[in-house]
Amino acid sequence: MTSTAPMDLTFLTTAVAVGLPFFAFLTIMIFIRAYPRLSAALSIGSVGVSMVAALSLLFRLWSVQHPIEYSGLWLGGEEFSLFFGFLLDPSSLLMFALVGVISLLVQIYSLGYMKGDPGFSRYYAFQSLFAWSMLSLTISSSLIQLYIFWELVGLCSYLLIGFWYEKFSATQAGKKAFVMTRLGDAAFFLGALLLLLHLGNVSILEINGPSAANRLSPAFLTVCVLLIFGGIVGKSAQFPLLTWLPDAMEGPTPVSALLHSATMVAAGAFLFARLFPFFSHSPAAMTVCLAVGTISMLMASTMAMVERDIKKVWAYSTISQLGYMVMGLAAGSSFAGLFHLATHAIFKALLFLCAGVWIHYFETNDMYEISSKNGRSLKIPLFCTVLAAASLSGLPPLSGYFSKETILSVLLQKDNPLWFVAGLLGVFMTAYYAFRPVFIVLFPRNLEQSSHEIPNKALYWAMACPLILLSAMTAGLGFFEDSLSGFLRTPLPQERGWLLPASVAVGLFGVLLTWYEFGRRTAPRIGFVERYAPVKTFFLKRWLLDDLYAYLLKTVIYRIFAEPLTRNDRRVIDGGIKEFCRFTVSSGRVFSHVQAGLLRFNLMVLFVILTLVGLSFFLL
Amino acid sequence: MIVPFNHVFMLAGAVFFLGLICIFTRRNLIMTLIGIEVMMNAAAIVFVASAVHWNRLEGQAFVLFIIGVAATEVAVGLALVVAAHRVTGSVDPDRYNFLKW
Repeated sequence: MTSTAPMDLTFLTTAVAVGLPFFAFLTIMIFIRAYPRLSAALSIGSVGVSMVAALSLLFRLWSVQHPIEYSGLWLGGEEFSLFFGFLLDPSSLLMFALVGVISLLVQIYSLGYMKGDPGFSRYYAFQSLFAWSMLSLTISSSLIQLYIFWELVGLCSYLLIGFWYEKFSATQAGKKAFVMTRLGDAAFFLGALLLLLHLGNVSILEINGPSAANRLSPAFLTVCVLLIFGGIVGKSAQFPLLTWLPDAMEGPTPVSALLHSATMVAAGAFLFARLFPFFSHSPAAMTVCLAVGTISMLMASTMAMVERDIKKVWAYSTISQLGYMVMGLAAGSSFAGLFHLATHAIFKALLFLCAGVWIHYFETNDMYEISSKNGRSLKIPLFCTVLAAASLSGLPPLSGYFSKETILSVLLQKDNPLWFVAGLLGVFMTAYYAFRPVFIVLFPRNLEQSSHEIPNKALYWAMACPLILLSAMTAGLGFFEDSLSGFLRTPLPQERGWLLPASVAVGLFGVLLTWYEFGRRTAPRIGFVERYAPVKTFFLKRWLLDDLYAYLLKTVIYRIFAEPLTRNDRRVIDGGIKEFCRFTVSSGRVFSHVQAGLLRFNLMVLFVILTLVGLSFFLL
Repeated sequence: MIVPFNHVFMLAGAVFFLGLICIFTRRNLIMTLIGIEVMMNAAAIVFVASAVHWNRLEGQAFVLFIIGVAATEVAVGLALVVAAHRVTGSVDPDRYNFLKW
């Protein structure tokens, strides 16, 4: 089961790919924080090497038959043993390469976006820390090891959301993200510990193996799966823990692109795909997962339809696409989920980075303002946004079309048509909210005449090059569907002939409706949802989820737990200690006559007495 | 285990006495704290060595507690040192004798 680690080329490549960003983080934080350029160069260089290593691993192991595991015993005894190491199998290699590529592109982009920021080196240090922990997460060999890196990426998320810590809302958002994801993580950790206690080994291959599920009773298995799914709900911002993600947009935009859309939040769906064989032993839990994915997907789409802040639109869209991934996985196809994860990572990173260019040059998040400040004059981000939005709404021949198609065809295989109808409704809403910002920016009203010169061409191109690369990938990745399916060794789901035209038609209908409401010359520029004020406020307030949390916090946590506990603390504990102190002081007055008043002398006497007592055990 | 069991014990003993000497000879409260930490680590070494020698997990688990206690102790200890420094203006333990009078 556990291979000892031979020092071969694969192992070394993996170790270098994982180790270099961590080395960069330590070096920047300890030695070269004062030199921003050097820090950026070191960080980009190390993640570049990581990316090359990750890609070479992907190509070298493309046709490898069995998962490769290098692991060593970290902690163990008779009851259980914990192994730490690397596990290279198709899904982890795919994610490994994906994280490497997007990290590198985002770090290059950040050269332009973070230019002149006082925390430039700190930013790159955190980016390196994130690259290290995310890369390690993808190739962790045991669930506990994965959990450690899972928490580390959560920490990076907290640090980077609150990166501009002088802004109060940013620190609040960071705190909210940290606490809400921690809620889910507590469940995940509980599930992992239960598995560890009952199986004695939580290495991922072992859990997914046929023997593990047979050793657990079905009810217990369902509980474990649901607990682990709790972690996925927290990290992937699924219902009911979804409100932290839009708030996380307080961080710098490249951070939103990398952490809060492409990689870190997708870690939840990745974990699902990782434990897919284990999860699928419990049909009851899978149905719960499917329902949670569907609810989050629809809920987040409605929120995105009324939002004005362009980053928040993409944030809601991320939640809803993650909902799609969870739906695809829970409906029984790990390929559908993983493929959508890969395509979504690329086109959503692209959308965020494009939005970042506008936010950087026009200093506003509001899409109407971007529009009236002549946002369309920046041609590259405009073109890339259109491409990525088309991919997001599943229009052929872009990558999103292929991946969404697989998910829909998996949903169609379910007995209950409800899931498929929900999926189709999601396609419509996705197309609607994806093209709303596009048309608003593309056809501006009351244009402000301002000559917007791009001050620094080199930095503009540092931001534009990653965009072009990412849009090339967005356009091309879909055609690798078959080879990816072969690589992941998961069959493509059966497609029905009428599904293709149906879903494309629904998507196109969404786009056309958006054009009718926002695009054409005499368009009212008010969406059909926004006409009904109560509905609009309901969606804008995120279905009152935040208010619900505030209410629960106030009634349950404060009234029932916090207040009695505070009273207990003040009266019983503090009062008791006060009495005890009074007693100690008065008795100290009596005994102070015996002591010499020299601390070191007292210690020496204490030591001698204890030694004598110890010796007496042996001698007597 | 590659290292003989006895040698680990000798090492732990040496570390323990180094800590002890540190406590007895230094006139600085912070150094006293460090001495205590060193002695605790000696105890931890013995625990780990015994755990490996008898192949029992409890010893290793106990070390985690020792580390936790050591960290807590430093936090509380340093807070006490700061408080003591505020009161007396020095960190020399020999000056803390006013309970006597």
